[in-house]
Amino acid sequence: MHLPCQRACAGEVGRERGLMLNEEKIRLMTGLAMFEKRAEKDVFPVNRYFKGDYVSGHMIRAFLSYTFSCVVCLGLWLLYSIEEILNTLDIEKLLQMAKDIGFYYVLGLLVYLAITWIVYARRYAAAAKGMKIYQAKLHRLAKKYENQSGQKESEGGKHQ
Amino acid sequence: MMALLVFKEKLKQFYAKFNIYLVALVTFAVGYLTFYLINSNIGFMERFKNPLIPVVMGLLASFLPSGTTAFLAGCFMIAHVFGVSMEVALIILVFMLLVIVLYYGFRPGDGYLLLLVPMAFFFRIPYVVPLLVGLSGSLVSIIPVSCGICIYYIIMYMKQNAGVLTGGTMAEAAERFMQIVRNIFGNELMWVMIAAFAAAILIVYLIRNLSVDFSWSIAIIAGVTIELAVIFIGDYNYNLPVSVQPMVVGVIVSVILALIYQFFVFAVDYSRTEYLQYEDDDYYYYVKAVPKIAVSAPDVKVHRIYSRKTAVRHEKNNGS
Repeated sequence: MHLPCQRACAGEVGRERGLMLNEEKIRLMTGLAMFEKRAEKDVFPVNRYFKGDYVSGHMIRAFLSYTFSCVVCLGLWLLYSIEEILNTLDIEKLLQMAKDIGFYYVLGLLVYLAITWIVYARRYAAAAKGMKIYQAKLHRLAKKYENQSGQKESEGGKHQ
Repeated sequence: MMALLVFKEKLKQFYAKFNIYLVALVTFAVGYLTFYLINSNIGFMERFKNPLIPVVMGLLASFLPSGTTAFLAGCFMIAHVFGVSMEVALIILVFMLLVIVLYYGFRPGDGYLLLLVPMAFFFRIPYVVPLLVGLSGSLVSIIPVSCGICIYYIIMYMKQNAGVLTGGTMAEAAERFMQIVRNIFGNELMWVMIAAFAAAILIVYLIRNLSVDFSWSIAIIAGVTIELAVIFIGDYNYNLPVSVQPMVVGVIVSVILALIYQFFVFAVDYSRTEYLQYEDDDYYYYVKAVPKIAVSAPDVKVHRIYSRKTAVRHEKNNGS
């Protein structure tokens, strides 16, 4: 029954202690929390590396996955044309076939690595940009805290 | 029009209020339908044909990422196909590995397209897919859409040829394997559909980004036209088994769905377009600003007003 009075009293006590809600600070912190949630996958892991390390790491991974895919496709193709190969067992023809396969493998690999390089270089640039904004917001928040603690100290000095 | 806009606002409010449940419900529906369609079309393994499996998988899908649901659906499909033909199961496995390793290694986040494209084919409205993808996605989405088309035609191939593919000796198996590869990857209808959808996505994407009035509507019409043109060219060249009547119905429904999507996502008023021009130290800016159509949903509150007589009688009754 005494709830309204209690609330009002609590508000006054809070105001006296300097516990008023700082709207700008809350907005800043909400923005930071939202960015952190979104950046958990895309920005923070990227930020741990230099650009060269990040992109080359992904290119090595791309090389391995492309090679794996080619081996799997080659296996399927061998199953498909094993009869034809066994029927015309000609060394020169087989060598020519191996050369062709090697050529297409290297060509595809170069294209795939180029795509990987473009994608991850762009992602790194985007993450670096996002990180700059994040740091600027953190800096602003830190300043807000500094100002607040400065105000509290000066108020404390006046009371004494 | 006004009533529709008010309805849209109400829907938006409803979504904002219950979005957690709605998203879970939609993902459940997608998951359930995916596994139900697999069961009803290529349910060759009796053990997996239990009607509870789609429900359980739908529940799982409601909190799993769409890519994971697509992966589980792929595994489920392989399990069914394995019951009839090991060769086709092997082909699907290789196909899945290639898509996962080469495309999903980039983490594009559009795994839901692998589920929705075959689903749209089963509901006979596949033509809506390139329109929506072109309007909302990027050009890279051509890859998962093409993969979705392949999955649909593999399922259809299995459905139509299950009897022929069962059993046989090893020698027959080798021959059958060649036959299957030739039939699946030599299916001209599949390649024509992939070409039509890729062309439509490209055209819709390019036109909707143009700075012309009604760009989204023009994009939808152009997308449908290019789809039909490519399919008719393919039909003319390869004599494809395309029946015109269901295609026309599918196209009309697809256009309507795309227009509804446009209404919800991109409702603007071109009659109030503003053209601005200004400059700073480095650039001149020529800006075209098109206002969004916005109405606020009416907030109806009922006030009860009692007449003086009734109020007085009320007081008297209370007093006595």
